Amino acid sequence: MKNKFNNKVIIEVKNLTKGFNDTMVLNNINFKLFEGESLAIIGASGSGKSVLLKNIIGLLTPDKGSIKINGLEMVNLKRSAKEKVLLDLGITFQHGALFDSLQNWENIVFKIRNKDKLSDKDGKKLALSIIEQLGLNSEILTLYPSEISGGMQKRVAIARAICGDPKVLLFDEPTSGLDPVTGSLIDKLIKTAVKTVGGSAITITHDMSSVCRIADKVILIDKQTIAWSGTPEDMLKANNPKIKDFIKSTNPKLFI
Amino acid sequence: MINSIFNICGAIGQKFLKFLSTIGHFSFFVVTAIFWMFRPPWYFKKIFYQIIDIGYFSLPVVGLTTFFSGMVLALQTYNGFTELNTETTVARVVLTSITRELGPVLTGLMVAGRIGAKMAAEIATMRVTEQIDALGTLGTRPMQYLIAPKIIASLICIPILVLLGNTIGILGGYVIAIFKLEFNPNIYLYATVEYLQWIDIIQGTVKALIFGLIISMVSCYFGFNATKGAEGVGYATTASVVISSVMILTSTYIITALFFG
Repeated sequence: MKNKFNNKVIIEVKNLTKGFNDTMVLNNINFKLFEGESLAIIGASGSGKSVLLKNIIGLLTPDKGSIKINGLEMVNLKRSAKEKVLLDLGITFQHGALFDSLQNWENIVFKIRNKDKLSDKDGKKLALSIIEQLGLNSEILTLYPSEISGGMQKRVAIARAICGDPKVLLFDEPTSGLDPVTGSLIDKLIKTAVKTVGGSAITITHDMSSVCRIADKVILIDKQTIAWSGTPEDMLKANNPKIKDFIKSTNPKLFI
Repeated sequence: MINSIFNICGAIGQKFLKFLSTIGHFSFFVVTAIFWMFRPPWYFKKIFYQIIDIGYFSLPVVGLTTFFSGMVLALQTYNGFTELNTETTVARVVLTSITRELGPVLTGLMVAGRIGAKMAAEIATMRVTEQIDALGTLGTRPMQYLIAPKIIASLICIPILVLLGNTIGILGGYVIAIFKLEFNPNIYLYATVEYLQWIDIIQGTVKALIFGLIISMVSCYFGFNATKGAEGVGYATTASVVISSVMILTSTYIITALFFG
Protein backbone atom coordinates (compact mmCIF):
# COMPACT_ATOMS: atom_id res chain seq x y z
CA MET A 1 0.00 0.00 0.00
CA LYS A 2 1.38 3.40 -0.96
CA ASN A 3 1.49 5.95 1.84
CA LYS A 4 1.89 9.72 1.97
CA PHE A 5 4.98 9.48 4.18
CA ASN A 6 8.57 8.92 3.41
CA ASN A 7 8.72 5.22 2.54
CA LYS A 8 11.35 4.54 5.16
CA VAL A 9 10.02 2.01 7.64
CA ILE A 10 10.96 2.91 11.21
CA ILE A 11 9.22 0.13 13.10
CA GLU A 12 8.02 -3.11 11.57
CA VAL A 13 6.08 -5.63 13.62
CA LYS A 14 5.56 -9.02 11.95
CA ASN A 15 3.42 -11.89 13.21
CA LEU A 16 3.93 -10.84 16.82
CA THR A 17 2.39 -13.26 19.30
CA LYS A 18 2.59 -12.94 23.07
CA GLY A 19 0.90 -14.74 25.92
CA PHE A 20 1.29 -15.15 29.67
CA ASN A 21 0.98 -18.69 31.05
CA ASP A 22 -2.06 -20.06 29.24
CA THR A 23 -3.56 -16.69 28.27
CA MET A 24 -2.95 -15.39 24.77
CA VAL A 25 -2.73 -11.57 24.79
CA LEU A 26 -1.57 -10.74 21.27
CA ASN A 27 -1.93 -13.01 18.28
CA ASN A 28 -0.28 -12.44 14.93
CA ILE A 29 0.03 -8.65 15.06
CA ASN A 30 1.41 -6.97 11.92
CA PHE A 31 1.97 -3.28 11.21
CA LYS A 32 4.54 -0.78 9.97
CA LEU A 33 5.37 2.69 11.23
CA PHE A 34 6.81 4.97 8.56
CA GLU A 35 9.14 7.92 9.03
CA GLY A 36 7.15 11.04 9.94
CA GLU A 37 4.01 9.04 10.70
CA SER A 38 1.97 9.26 13.87
CA LEU A 39 0.22 6.01 14.71
CA ALA A 40 -2.48 5.66 17.36
CA ILE A 41 -3.20 2.26 18.89
CA ILE A 42 -6.64 2.03 20.44
CA GLY A 43 -8.50 -0.75 22.18
CA ALA A 44 -10.37 -1.64 25.34
CA SER A 45 -8.55 -1.93 28.66
CA GLY A 46 -6.73 -5.25 28.86
CA SER A 47 -6.66 -5.69 25.09
CA GLY A 48 -2.86 -5.85 25.09
CA LYS A 49 -1.90 -2.36 23.87
CA SER A 50 0.68 -1.79 26.61
CA VAL A 51 1.97 -5.36 26.17
CA LEU A 52 2.53 -4.54 22.49
CA LEU A 53 4.47 -1.40 23.44
CA LYS A 54 6.56 -3.32 25.98
CA ASN A 55 7.42 -5.88 23.30
CA ILE A 56 8.54 -3.10 20.97
CA ILE A 57 10.84 -1.55 23.56
CA GLY A 58 12.23 -4.91 24.61
CA LEU A 59 10.81 -5.10 28.14
CA LEU A 60 8.96 -8.24 27.05
CA THR A 61 10.07 -10.87 24.58
CA PRO A 62 7.52 -12.06 22.04
CA ASP A 63 6.65 -15.75 21.95
CA LYS A 64 6.74 -15.57 18.16
CA GLY A 65 7.30 -12.99 15.48
CA SER A 66 9.70 -10.19 14.66
CA ILE A 67 10.12 -6.53 15.65
CA LYS A 68 12.45 -4.36 13.60
CA ILE A 69 13.45 -0.83 14.54
CA ASN A 70 15.29 0.99 11.76
CA GLY A 71 15.80 -2.38 10.09
CA LEU A 72 17.43 -3.92 13.16
CA GLU A 73 15.82 -7.07 14.53
CA MET A 74 15.10 -6.37 18.21
CA VAL A 75 14.04 -9.86 19.29
CA ASN A 76 17.05 -11.62 20.82
CA LEU A 77 19.30 -8.66 19.98
CA LYS A 78 22.37 -8.31 22.22
CA ARG A 79 21.69 -6.15 25.23
CA SER A 80 24.27 -3.49 24.39
CA ALA A 81 22.96 -3.13 20.83
CA LYS A 82 19.39 -2.94 22.14
CA GLU A 83 20.41 -0.16 24.53
CA LYS A 84 21.80 1.87 21.63
CA VAL A 85 18.50 1.54 19.76
CA LEU A 86 16.54 2.52 22.88
CA LEU A 87 18.58 5.73 23.22
CA ASP A 88 16.91 6.95 20.02
CA LEU A 89 13.44 6.36 21.44
CA GLY A 90 11.45 8.64 23.73
CA ILE A 91 9.10 6.64 25.89
CA THR A 92 6.40 7.52 28.41
CA PHE A 93 4.88 4.87 30.62
CA GLN A 94 1.22 4.56 31.55
CA HIS A 95 1.73 5.87 35.08
CA GLY A 96 4.62 8.19 34.34
CA ALA A 97 7.30 6.05 36.00
CA LEU A 98 9.16 9.13 37.23
CA PHE A 99 12.03 8.47 39.63
CA ASP A 100 10.76 9.38 43.12
CA SER A 101 14.21 10.06 44.52
CA LEU A 102 15.17 12.57 41.85
CA GLN A 103 13.95 16.13 41.39
CA ASN A 104 11.84 16.84 38.32
CA TRP A 105 14.68 18.46 36.37
CA GLU A 106 16.89 15.43 37.06
CA ASN A 107 14.10 13.19 35.78
CA ILE A 108 13.74 15.23 32.59
CA VAL A 109 17.42 15.26 31.64
CA PHE A 110 18.22 11.81 33.05
CA LYS A 111 19.15 10.22 29.72
CA ILE A 112 21.13 13.19 28.38
CA ARG A 113 22.88 13.75 31.72
CA ASN A 114 24.12 10.15 31.85
CA LYS A 115 25.15 10.15 28.20
CA ASP A 116 26.75 13.59 27.85
CA LYS A 117 27.81 14.22 31.48
CA LEU A 118 25.78 17.42 31.61
CA SER A 119 26.48 19.83 34.50
CA ASP A 120 23.66 20.60 36.94
CA LYS A 121 23.40 24.16 35.60
CA ASP A 122 23.13 23.07 31.97
CA GLY A 123 20.74 20.28 32.94
CA LYS A 124 18.38 22.69 34.70
CA LYS A 125 18.55 25.05 31.73
CA LEU A 126 17.69 22.28 29.30
CA ALA A 127 14.85 21.00 31.50
CA LEU A 128 13.46 24.53 31.74
CA SER A 129 13.44 24.98 27.97
CA ILE A 130 11.43 21.74 27.63
CA ILE A 131 8.88 22.30 30.37
CA GLU A 132 8.08 25.77 29.06
CA GLN A 133 6.74 24.13 25.89
CA LEU A 134 4.50 21.98 28.08
CA GLY A 135 2.99 24.90 29.96
CA LEU A 136 4.73 24.06 33.23
CA ASN A 137 6.15 26.55 35.68
CA SER A 138 9.89 26.67 36.39
CA GLU A 139 9.16 26.23 40.12
CA ILE A 140 8.38 22.54 39.63
CA LEU A 141 11.93 21.83 38.45
CA THR A 142 13.39 21.57 41.93
CA LEU A 143 10.40 19.72 43.39
CA TYR A 144 10.14 15.94 43.59
CA PRO A 145 7.51 14.06 41.53
CA SER A 146 5.49 13.34 44.70
CA GLU A 147 5.19 17.09 45.31
CA ILE A 148 3.35 17.89 42.06
CA SER A 149 -0.11 16.91 40.78
CA GLY A 150 -0.79 13.83 38.66
CA GLY A 151 -1.31 15.96 35.55
CA MET A 152 1.99 17.72 36.09
CA GLN A 153 3.71 14.36 36.61
CA LYS A 154 2.35 13.25 33.26
CA ARG A 155 3.80 16.33 31.60
CA VAL A 156 7.17 15.85 33.29
CA ALA A 157 7.16 12.27 31.97
CA ILE A 158 6.48 13.60 28.47
CA ALA A 159 9.25 16.17 28.93
CA ARG A 160 11.61 13.30 29.82
CA ALA A 161 10.52 11.40 26.70
CA ILE A 162 11.08 14.30 24.29
CA CYS A 163 14.34 15.48 25.89
CA GLY A 164 17.20 14.92 23.45
CA ASP A 165 14.91 15.04 20.38
CA PRO A 166 14.46 11.30 19.88
CA LYS A 167 13.47 10.17 16.39
CA VAL A 168 10.76 7.83 17.61
CA LEU A 169 8.30 8.69 20.35
CA LEU A 170 6.24 6.05 22.14
CA PHE A 171 3.49 7.27 24.43
CA ASP A 172 1.39 5.01 26.65
CA GLU A 173 -1.81 6.93 27.39
CA PRO A 174 -0.19 10.37 27.51
CA THR A 175 -3.42 12.31 28.08
CA SER A 176 -5.19 10.06 30.58
CA GLY A 177 -5.92 11.90 33.80
CA LEU A 178 -5.37 15.30 32.22
CA ASP A 179 -7.94 18.07 31.86
CA PRO A 180 -9.13 18.72 28.25
CA VAL A 181 -7.03 21.89 27.88
CA THR A 182 -3.82 20.19 28.97
CA GLY A 183 -4.75 17.09 26.96
CA SER A 184 -5.09 19.22 23.85
CA LEU A 185 -1.75 20.90 24.65
CA ILE A 186 -0.07 17.50 24.90
CA ASP A 187 -1.61 16.46 21.59
CA LYS A 188 -0.24 19.59 19.94
CA LEU A 189 3.12 18.89 21.45
CA ILE A 190 3.17 15.31 20.14
CA LYS A 191 2.24 16.62 16.70
CA THR A 192 4.93 19.33 16.87
CA ALA A 193 7.55 16.93 18.20
CA VAL A 194 6.89 14.55 15.31
CA LYS A 195 7.04 17.39 12.76
CA THR A 196 10.06 19.26 14.12
CA VAL A 197 12.39 16.32 14.58
CA GLY A 198 11.01 14.59 11.52
CA GLY A 199 10.33 11.64 13.75
CA SER A 200 7.56 9.13 14.16
CA ALA A 201 5.24 8.36 17.05
CA ILE A 202 3.16 5.56 18.43
CA THR A 203 0.51 6.65 20.90
CA ILE A 204 -1.62 4.29 22.93
CA THR A 205 -4.80 6.00 23.96
CA HIS A 206 -8.50 5.72 24.76
CA ASP A 207 -9.10 9.37 24.00
CA MET A 208 -10.79 9.50 20.58
CA SER A 209 -10.57 13.30 20.32
CA SER A 210 -6.85 12.93 20.85
CA VAL A 211 -6.71 10.22 18.13
CA CYS A 212 -8.38 12.59 15.65
CA ARG A 213 -5.92 15.36 16.55
CA ILE A 214 -2.63 13.48 16.45
CA ALA A 215 -2.93 10.33 14.38
CA ASP A 216 -2.19 9.75 10.72
CA LYS A 217 -3.11 6.10 11.11
CA VAL A 218 -5.19 4.20 13.67
CA ILE A 219 -5.04 0.57 14.74
CA LEU A 220 -7.76 -1.06 16.83
CA ILE A 221 -6.72 -4.08 18.88
CA ASP A 222 -9.54 -6.39 19.84
CA LYS A 223 -9.54 -10.05 20.87
CA GLN A 224 -5.73 -10.33 20.57
CA THR A 225 -5.61 -9.20 16.93
CA ILE A 226 -5.76 -6.03 14.86
CA ALA A 227 -9.48 -5.72 14.30
CA TRP A 228 -9.33 -2.58 12.16
CA SER A 229 -6.78 -0.13 10.79
CA GLY A 230 -7.04 3.04 8.73
CA THR A 231 -6.90 6.83 8.89
CA PRO A 232 -8.87 8.85 11.48
CA GLU A 233 -11.16 10.06 8.67
CA ASP A 234 -11.85 6.47 7.59
CA MET A 235 -12.41 5.56 11.22
CA LEU A 236 -15.33 7.96 11.58
CA LYS A 237 -16.95 6.64 8.40
CA ALA A 238 -16.11 2.97 8.94
CA ASN A 239 -18.83 0.34 8.82
CA ASN A 240 -16.76 -2.14 10.79
CA PRO A 241 -18.92 -2.92 13.86
CA LYS A 242 -15.92 -3.23 16.18
CA ILE A 243 -14.52 0.22 15.48
CA LYS A 244 -18.03 1.70 15.48
CA ASP A 245 -18.82 0.18 18.89
CA PHE A 246 -15.48 1.31 20.28
CA ILE A 247 -15.97 4.93 19.17
CA LYS A 248 -19.57 4.97 20.41
CA SER A 249 -18.53 3.65 23.81
CA THR A 250 -15.68 6.10 24.25
CA ASN A 251 -16.87 9.26 22.49
CA PRO A 252 -20.38 9.19 20.98
CA LYS A 253 -20.10 12.90 20.10
CA LEU A 254 -17.75 12.02 17.24
CA PHE A 255 -20.75 10.56 15.40
CA ILE A 256 -22.86 13.69 15.74
CA MET B 1 -5.78 -43.77 48.61
CA ILE B 2 -2.93 -44.17 46.09
CA ASN B 3 -4.15 -41.08 44.28
CA SER B 4 -3.98 -39.05 47.50
CA ILE B 5 -0.40 -40.21 48.09
CA PHE B 6 0.51 -39.25 44.52
CA ASN B 7 -1.12 -35.84 45.00
CA ILE B 8 0.81 -35.19 48.22
CA CYS B 9 4.08 -36.33 46.62
CA GLY B 10 3.32 -34.18 43.56
CA ALA B 11 2.68 -31.12 45.72
CA ILE B 12 5.89 -31.67 47.70
CA GLY B 13 7.84 -32.21 44.47
CA GLN B 14 6.41 -29.03 42.98
CA LYS B 15 7.38 -27.00 46.05
CA PHE B 16 10.86 -28.50 46.00
CA LEU B 17 11.31 -27.69 42.31
CA LYS B 18 10.12 -24.12 42.95
CA PHE B 19 12.62 -23.84 45.80
CA LEU B 20 15.44 -25.08 43.55
CA SER B 21 14.39 -22.66 40.82
CA THR B 22 14.43 -19.76 43.33
CA ILE B 23 17.92 -20.80 44.48
CA GLY B 24 19.09 -20.88 40.86
CA HIS B 25 17.46 -17.53 40.13
CA PHE B 26 19.01 -15.98 43.26
CA SER B 27 22.46 -17.39 42.42
CA PHE B 28 22.25 -15.91 38.92
CA PHE B 29 21.20 -12.57 40.45
CA VAL B 30 24.21 -12.64 42.83
CA VAL B 31 26.67 -13.42 40.01
CA THR B 32 25.18 -10.69 37.79
CA ALA B 33 25.24 -8.14 40.62
CA ILE B 34 28.90 -8.92 41.42
CA PHE B 35 29.76 -8.62 37.72
CA TRP B 36 28.18 -5.15 37.54
CA MET B 37 29.98 -4.05 40.73
CA PHE B 38 33.30 -4.24 38.88
CA ARG B 39 32.23 -2.64 35.60
CA PRO B 40 32.34 1.10 34.93
CA PRO B 41 30.68 3.53 35.15
CA TRP B 42 30.55 3.58 38.93
CA TYR B 43 27.92 5.87 40.39
CA PHE B 44 30.06 7.39 43.16
CA LYS B 45 27.39 9.86 44.27
CA LYS B 46 24.92 7.02 44.80
CA ILE B 47 27.56 4.92 46.60
CA PHE B 48 28.30 7.90 48.88
CA TYR B 49 24.61 8.40 49.75
CA GLN B 50 24.28 4.69 50.50
CA ILE B 51 27.34 4.79 52.75
CA ILE B 52 25.78 7.67 54.71
CA ASP B 53 22.46 5.83 54.95
CA ILE B 54 23.82 2.41 55.84
CA GLY B 55 26.82 3.46 57.91
CA TYR B 56 26.12 6.78 59.57
CA PHE B 57 22.38 6.44 60.17
CA SER B 58 22.64 2.84 61.42
CA LEU B 59 25.27 3.73 63.99
CA PRO B 60 22.84 4.89 66.76
CA VAL B 61 20.76 1.72 66.63
CA VAL B 62 23.82 -0.54 66.37
CA GLY B 63 25.57 1.39 69.16
CA LEU B 64 22.58 1.20 71.51
CA THR B 65 22.03 -2.51 70.88
CA THR B 66 25.66 -3.54 71.40
CA PHE B 67 26.12 -1.18 74.38
CA PHE B 68 23.20 -2.73 76.28
CA SER B 69 24.21 -6.23 75.21
CA GLY B 70 27.69 -5.62 76.67
CA MET B 71 26.09 -4.39 79.90
CA VAL B 72 23.77 -7.41 80.17
CA LEU B 73 26.62 -9.76 79.39
CA ALA B 74 28.83 -8.31 82.14
CA LEU B 75 26.01 -8.51 84.67
CA GLN B 76 24.98 -12.09 83.81
CA THR B 77 28.57 -13.31 83.66
CA TYR B 78 29.31 -11.78 87.04
CA ASN B 79 26.26 -13.53 88.57
CA GLY B 80 27.47 -16.85 87.14
CA PHE B 81 31.12 -16.50 88.08
CA THR B 82 30.99 -14.86 91.51
CA GLU B 83 33.11 -17.60 93.03
CA LEU B 84 35.98 -17.23 90.54
CA ASN B 85 38.51 -14.55 89.77
CA THR B 86 35.66 -12.45 88.36
CA GLU B 87 37.45 -9.38 87.04
CA THR B 88 39.46 -11.26 84.44
CA THR B 89 36.69 -13.78 83.72
CA VAL B 90 33.99 -11.16 83.14
CA ALA B 91 36.31 -9.11 80.93
CA ARG B 92 37.27 -12.16 78.93
CA VAL B 93 33.69 -13.42 78.46
CA VAL B 94 32.44 -9.97 77.46
CA LEU B 95 35.32 -9.50 75.01
CA THR B 96 35.08 -12.93 73.40
CA SER B 97 31.29 -12.99 73.18
CA ILE B 98 31.09 -9.50 71.72
CA THR B 99 33.91 -9.76 69.19
CA ARG B 100 33.19 -13.30 68.05
CA GLU B 101 29.40 -13.46 68.03
CA LEU B 102 27.23 -10.75 69.53
CA GLY B 103 28.84 -7.76 67.82
CA PRO B 104 28.64 -9.08 64.26
CA VAL B 105 25.29 -10.88 64.68
CA LEU B 106 23.48 -8.03 66.44
CA THR B 107 24.86 -5.52 63.95
CA GLY B 108 23.82 -7.78 61.07
CA LEU B 109 20.30 -8.25 62.44
CA MET B 110 19.86 -4.53 63.15
CA VAL B 111 21.08 -3.55 59.69
CA ALA B 112 18.88 -6.25 58.10
CA GLY B 113 15.87 -4.75 59.88
CA ARG B 114 16.69 -1.14 59.15
CA ILE B 115 18.50 -1.12 55.82
CA GLY B 116 17.46 -4.46 54.30
CA ALA B 117 13.78 -3.58 54.66
CA LYS B 118 14.41 -0.13 53.22
CA MET B 119 16.36 -1.46 50.23
CA ALA B 120 13.73 -4.09 49.46
CA ALA B 121 10.81 -1.65 49.79
CA GLU B 122 12.53 1.02 47.68
CA ILE B 123 13.47 -1.32 44.84
CA ALA B 124 10.13 -3.16 44.97
CA THR B 125 8.24 0.15 44.71
CA MET B 126 10.40 1.11 41.75
CA ARG B 127 9.63 -2.25 40.16
CA VAL B 128 5.84 -2.11 40.58
CA THR B 129 5.65 1.53 39.44
CA GLU B 130 7.64 0.73 36.27
CA GLN B 131 10.57 2.94 37.34
CA ILE B 132 13.01 0.06 36.80
CA ASP B 133 11.57 -0.50 33.31
CA ALA B 134 11.98 3.23 32.65
CA LEU B 135 15.62 3.11 33.78
CA GLY B 136 16.33 0.42 31.21
CA THR B 137 14.86 2.53 28.43
CA LEU B 138 16.91 5.59 29.42
CA GLY B 139 20.30 4.07 28.69
CA THR B 140 20.98 2.97 32.27
CA ARG B 141 21.39 -0.57 33.52
CA PRO B 142 19.26 -1.07 36.63
CA MET B 143 21.69 -3.62 38.11
CA GLN B 144 24.55 -1.17 37.79
CA TYR B 145 22.66 1.97 38.81
CA LEU B 146 20.43 0.59 41.58
CA ILE B 147 21.88 -2.63 42.94
CA ALA B 148 25.69 -2.30 42.66
CA PRO B 149 25.96 0.92 44.78
CA LYS B 150 23.92 -0.72 47.57
CA ILE B 151 26.13 -3.81 47.62
CA ILE B 152 29.39 -1.81 47.51
CA ALA B 153 28.18 0.47 50.33
CA SER B 154 27.06 -2.52 52.44
CA LEU B 155 30.43 -4.21 52.03
CA ILE B 156 32.21 -1.03 53.12
CA CYS B 157 29.89 -0.05 55.98
CA ILE B 158 28.95 -3.25 57.77
CA PRO B 159 32.53 -4.26 58.73
CA ILE B 160 33.10 -0.72 60.07
CA LEU B 161 29.78 -0.88 61.95
CA VAL B 162 30.78 -4.23 63.44
CA LEU B 163 34.14 -2.88 64.62
CA LEU B 164 32.43 0.14 66.18
CA GLY B 165 29.68 -2.07 67.62
CA ASN B 166 32.29 -4.35 69.17
CA THR B 167 34.05 -1.39 70.78
CA ILE B 168 30.77 0.04 72.10
CA GLY B 169 29.70 -3.39 73.40
CA ILE B 170 32.98 -3.85 75.27
CA LEU B 171 32.53 -0.33 76.64
CA GLY B 172 29.04 -1.32 77.87
CA GLY B 173 30.57 -4.25 79.77
CA TYR B 174 33.28 -1.98 81.20
CA VAL B 175 30.70 0.60 82.41
CA ILE B 176 28.75 -2.07 84.33
CA ALA B 177 31.88 -3.75 85.64
CA ILE B 178 33.35 -0.51 86.99
CA PHE B 179 30.32 1.47 88.12
CA LYS B 180 27.97 -1.28 89.29
CA LEU B 181 30.11 -4.30 90.10
CA GLU B 182 32.92 -2.11 91.46
CA PHE B 183 35.77 -3.88 89.67
CA ASN B 184 39.21 -2.39 89.52
CA PRO B 185 39.29 -0.45 86.21
CA ASN B 186 42.98 -1.12 85.58
CA ILE B 187 42.70 -4.88 86.08
CA TYR B 188 39.53 -5.04 83.96
CA LEU B 189 41.11 -3.05 81.13
CA TYR B 190 44.35 -5.03 81.31
CA ALA B 191 42.39 -8.30 81.11
CA THR B 192 40.41 -7.00 78.11
CA VAL B 193 43.54 -5.98 76.21
CA GLU B 194 45.38 -9.15 77.18
CA TYR B 195 42.70 -11.46 75.87
CA LEU B 196 42.07 -9.53 72.66
CA GLN B 197 43.19 -11.72 69.75
CA TRP B 198 43.67 -10.91 66.10
CA ILE B 199 41.76 -14.02 65.09
CA ASP B 200 38.64 -12.65 66.82
CA ILE B 201 38.85 -9.38 64.95
CA ILE B 202 39.52 -11.14 61.63
CA GLN B 203 36.66 -13.56 62.21
CA GLY B 204 34.29 -10.68 63.11
CA THR B 205 35.31 -8.80 59.97
CA VAL B 206 34.79 -11.87 57.77
CA LYS B 207 31.35 -12.32 59.31
CA ALA B 208 30.57 -8.66 58.72
CA LEU B 209 31.54 -8.92 55.04
CA ILE B 210 29.40 -12.03 54.58
CA PHE B 211 26.47 -10.39 56.41
CA GLY B 212 26.84 -7.27 54.24
CA LEU B 213 26.65 -9.43 51.16
CA ILE B 214 23.66 -11.39 52.51
CA ILE B 215 21.67 -8.30 53.53
CA SER B 216 22.23 -6.36 50.32
CA MET B 217 21.82 -9.31 47.94
CA VAL B 218 18.71 -10.76 49.59
CA SER B 219 17.01 -7.36 49.94
CA CYS B 220 17.84 -6.28 46.39
CA TYR B 221 16.75 -9.68 45.01
CA PHE B 222 13.33 -9.59 46.63
CA GLY B 223 12.84 -5.94 45.73
CA PHE B 224 13.99 -6.41 42.14
CA ASN B 225 11.64 -9.35 41.57
CA ALA B 226 8.59 -7.87 43.29
CA THR B 227 5.19 -8.24 41.63
CA LYS B 228 1.54 -7.55 42.45
CA GLY B 229 1.61 -3.88 43.48
CA ALA B 230 1.47 -2.82 47.13
CA GLU B 231 1.05 -6.42 48.31
CA GLY B 232 4.22 -7.36 46.43
CA VAL B 233 6.14 -4.52 48.09
CA GLY B 234 5.00 -5.77 51.51
CA TYR B 235 5.98 -9.34 50.69
CA ALA B 236 9.40 -8.29 49.38
CA THR B 237 10.09 -6.27 52.54
CA THR B 238 9.04 -9.03 54.95
CA ALA B 239 10.80 -11.78 53.00
CA SER B 240 14.03 -9.79 52.79
CA VAL B 241 14.19 -9.21 56.57
CA VAL B 242 13.19 -12.77 57.51
CA ILE B 243 15.48 -14.51 55.02
CA SER B 244 18.43 -12.17 55.71
CA SER B 245 18.05 -12.81 59.46
CA VAL B 246 17.85 -16.59 59.04
CA MET B 247 20.85 -16.56 56.69
CA ILE B 248 22.84 -14.39 59.13
CA LEU B 249 22.19 -16.80 62.00
CA THR B 250 22.97 -19.83 59.85
CA SER B 251 26.14 -18.40 58.35
CA THR B 252 27.47 -17.22 61.71
CA TYR B 253 27.52 -20.86 62.86
CA ILE B 254 29.26 -22.00 59.67
CA ILE B 255 31.93 -19.27 59.91
CA THR B 256 32.52 -19.93 63.61
CA ALA B 257 32.85 -23.65 62.90
CA LEU B 258 35.35 -22.92 60.10
CA PHE B 259 37.47 -20.66 62.33
CA PHE B 260 37.25 -22.44 65.66
CA GLY B 261 35.62 -25.81 64.92
